[in-house]
Amino acid sequence: MTSSSAHPRKALSKIACNRLQKELVEWQVNPPTGFKHKVTDNLQRWIIDVNGAPGTLYANETYQLQVDFPEHYPMEAPQVIFIPTAPLHPHIYSNGHICLVSNTMDSMNQNICVICLMKKMSFSSFSDILYDSWSPAMTVNSICISILSMLSSSTAKQRPADNDQYVKNCRNGRSPKETRWWFHDDKV
Amino acid sequence: MVLGSALSAAAKQAEQLRKDGNIYFKKDRFGAAIDAYTEAITLCPNVPVYWTNRALCHRKRNDWSKVEEDCRRAIQLDHSSVKAHYMLGLALLKKKELDEGVKELQKALDLGRGANPKGYMVDEIWQELAKAKYLLWEDASSKRSWELQSLKEACETALREKYFLDDQPEDFLDEGSIAHMKQLEALRQVFRKAGEADVPAVVPDYLCCKITLDIFRDPVITPSGVTYERAVILEHLQKVGKFDPITREPLDQSQLFPNLAIKEAVQAYLDKHGWAYKMD
Repeated sequence: MTSSSAHPRKALSKIACNRLQKELVEWQVNPPTGFKHKVTDNLQRWIIDVNGAPGTLYANETYQLQVDFPEHYPMEAPQVIFIPTAPLHPHIYSNGHICLVSNTMDSMNQNICVICLMKKMSFSSFSDILYDSWSPAMTVNSICISILSMLSSSTAKQRPADNDQYVKNCRNGRSPKETRWWFHDDKV
Repeated sequence: MVLGSALSAAAKQAEQLRKDGNIYFKKDRFGAAIDAYTEAITLCPNVPVYWTNRALCHRKRNDWSKVEEDCRRAIQLDHSSVKAHYMLGLALLKKKELDEGVKELQKALDLGRGANPKGYMVDEIWQELAKAKYLLWEDASSKRSWELQSLKEACETALREKYFLDDQPEDFLDEGSIAHMKQLEALRQVFRKAGEADVPAVVPDYLCCKITLDIFRDPVITPSGVTYERAVILEHLQKVGKFDPITREPLDQSQLFPNLAIKEAVQAYLDKHGWAYKMD
């Protein structure tokens, strides 16, 4: 699935607008635990505060996510990055780009995502839902839950092994969706 | 045969006139387009498309009585013309014949979905139908509200009289006034419940598509047992991948079937809760 860089962004299609308005209403009634949406006029870019879950490495820490929706959302995945300073995590680069890997084979991770259960997926294919494995049934809510799950299951506060090289590569404002990922599944 | 070739010459000429009309239409030269279509109709009066094309021009000029005439003629020639039923519906709505107009729009929608469920026409027809249905509901529900309110006030008055409270100061608390308060509250509950259906609320999840997050219009079900909005799941299969968006099982267009039970459930819900027709 090809995705263009975030700049310049085309305006949201009618379908995307309707869907995002519905997601916003649902969020206001039922926000995901640990997340807070910062209200702005901009439907196309959501800024979300993330609170690290208690009992995890990121407890009492706050970070910010920036979610940019493309013209053809939900047929196309949104771009999700952390606004620096990004959390120290083996799958989060210092520029905020996320490699959404779930090491749910780790028996310590009890935060099994509801979405995984619904989808009956093999856990390794959960890796790239923000990129190649996107489905229009996913929502900002479900993405946030996945991200929190990824944070909570981390066993070390460190940058990815190839952090410096990756960040250098992205200097010209590249979208994480354009990057080819080496998934770190087998290294975790 | 001479007559045959004369007929086919007329048909050819009519077709050329139609093409001319289309070009004028694209340039917003509706008068010229009407003239071209009219000539085509004179030559070949039994081609439904000439009538609907002309109706389209009348519509652009808001000449609704002519729209109605031309559409009715087109329908006589072709019962299944989507455009004819659609524009006839719009014309009837303009005349405030809401019930008839809605019927025609519904017919156009059903025909349109049969032909091209993903087309822009289907969406446009739905928007107009939803608007009309919403207006019908608004009208009926304000009448209901008003009647309910009058009845409620009459009942409250009767209740006061029952407890002979008209002569007493308001804050005089005795057994009688306490009993009155209780019954008054119960009465208000009853009326609240009676008017519940007309109060806009949230459409239940099970009547909504998991992709559009909106109430179903034309639901189809996949082999995994999940129901989606037809136009959207078709777009997903084409643009995103050939898999069920929720279960990720492989999925092909040919495996989608109309979910008739949900369709009926949605219709029943909308009949009772017309506020849900409102599109923002």
